[in-house]
Amino acid sequence: MRFTWDIFCTVIDNFGDIGVTWRLARQLAAEHDLDVRLWVDDLGAFVRLCPSADASLAVQEVQGVVVHYWAAPWSPVAAADVVIEAFACELPPAYIAAMQGRERPSLWLNLEYLSAEAWVDDCHGLPSPQGKGLQKYFFFPGFSTRSGGLLREAGLIARRRAFQCDIAAQQAFLHDIGVARASGHRLISLFCYENSALSSLLDALAESVQPSLLLVPEGCVSAGLKSYFGVEHVSLDHRYERGALTVQLIPFLSQQDYDYLLWSCDLNFVRGEDSFIRAQWAERPFIWHIYPQQDKVHIDKLQAFLDRFSVGLDGACSEVLSALSLDWNEGRNMAQSWRRYDAASPVLAGHAADWSARLAEGENLADSLVQFHQNWL
Amino acid sequence: MKTAQEMKPNSVMLIDGQPWMVQKAEFTKSGRNSAIVKMKLKNLLSGSTTETVFKSEDKVEPVILERVAVTYSYVADSVYVFMDDEFNQYELSEDDIESVLPYIVDGMTDICEAVFFEGKVISVDLPTTIVRQIVYTEGSARGDTSGKVMKPAKLSNGTEVKVADFCEIDDWIEIDTRNGEYKSRAKAPF
Repeated sequence: MRFTWDIFCTVIDNFGDIGVTWRLARQLAAEHDLDVRLWVDDLGAFVRLCPSADASLAVQEVQGVVVHYWAAPWSPVAAADVVIEAFACELPPAYIAAMQGRERPSLWLNLEYLSAEAWVDDCHGLPSPQGKGLQKYFFFPGFSTRSGGLLREAGLIARRRAFQCDIAAQQAFLHDIGVARASGHRLISLFCYENSALSSLLDALAESVQPSLLLVPEGCVSAGLKSYFGVEHVSLDHRYERGALTVQLIPFLSQQDYDYLLWSCDLNFVRGEDSFIRAQWAERPFIWHIYPQQDKVHIDKLQAFLDRFSVGLDGACSEVLSALSLDWNEGRNMAQSWRRYDAASPVLAGHAADWSARLAEGENLADSLVQFHQNWL
Repeated sequence: MKTAQEMKPNSVMLIDGQPWMVQKAEFTKSGRNSAIVKMKLKNLLSGSTTETVFKSEDKVEPVILERVAVTYSYVADSVYVFMDDEFNQYELSEDDIESVLPYIVDGMTDICEAVFFEGKVISVDLPTTIVRQIVYTEGSARGDTSGKVMKPAKLSNGTEVKVADFCEIDDWIEIDTRNGEYKSRAKAPF
């Protein structure tokens, strides 16, 4: 029997929601022989990540997934065997009624945000009674064996290794996105939210002994870059230089190409959830710009991750990473923390590789979801 | 209807026609300014317990329960007996009064509220502030008088409470029963 899965995604802001759900949908369809529909309310955001898709089509099959435009008002459809509401989005009431009306109600899962905090383990998989005989379950991605794990498609690690061993493939990829890496330059990708620490980071890179080529996806921190370089526009066809720093804008990349970028760089600045997870599979050092929240709740979440990540890292390097991460996330001057980070970078690079290898032994989110469904049956 | 985050310990909600009492509620911020509430619920009809998670804004159906003023009388074989002003006795198990059990002491005179669902007593609520006596605590380590430095102290039933460093054995203290925190030193209640 081939099970049907529906994944619902509302695009609140940026690309994290659709990034995670699109990866999950692909993996479920490709690796678990499932009929997967992805319902998304902003096809424009989806097409940015998957350029082969067509934002004008209400229904289309892409890479084994049937992608539906989640239109309002809702047009009733039969409910799937398994229904995932991503990041607590609200399902259409008529669809909930359809779930309830099945001979056996659908398995209803709320896929939550990723957090490294300990409470996740105690909440993962718990039911949430919804009345009328329907029960929802909270499914938490995470870093521990008691959580739902992280998204990691089959063959990812092998593909990354092959790419990182293939200098020609790396050069060809960089060439395709218009990047020529000069010998001796450190290659850094920068994907972050608007950040008042940006200018101090750029200053620190400009004053470094080693030259850096900073690659920034088009549209990311453009206000900060314009202000820093004193220009009215930043564009793809220019390089912006100051001291040892060269900044180059690159096109917004598909998910596959973004992986290649992460795998090519010596250091990656990432943000939110999707790029944060992908950076960890890159075996390269990364700095996380966590999604800012009220009351600075995100700083606790950042610290929880750093605590997990730093296991096995010597105390001094751990402190260096923590200081830089906090400066970056709190929008503070990074001059001092960057110098210390730079000095510790060989150790931190080795640790990033160890961390990635350790994570790869852990749970895989898609597999965990399928197993949860099987157990529920 | 109320939101899940408004449901506090001892409040009751209806789920599929069954009354469930909140025994514990933990509010946690998850991602992007959303929040969840993890609850330990007890089915008031079957006595079974379960752990659940709600979105903080999930709508739930609260149940208004009948309440009667009572005082604690005695405990026998783990059955706690309370009495109203007409000398009616109400028996509750340890599980029924789990959240207030740390503050039940012999001779307590607090006016409590027995809680009823469909005519059956199901729990007891204590006043928000109660006064209890310290039976043991270490001496002041630093001579602190600010009330900011805390130390453990034991009540007569063995419950441990963090109290101000200047508190001493035999002192009476006020405790907030919503969170179990020490509030201040107090006069003896009699």
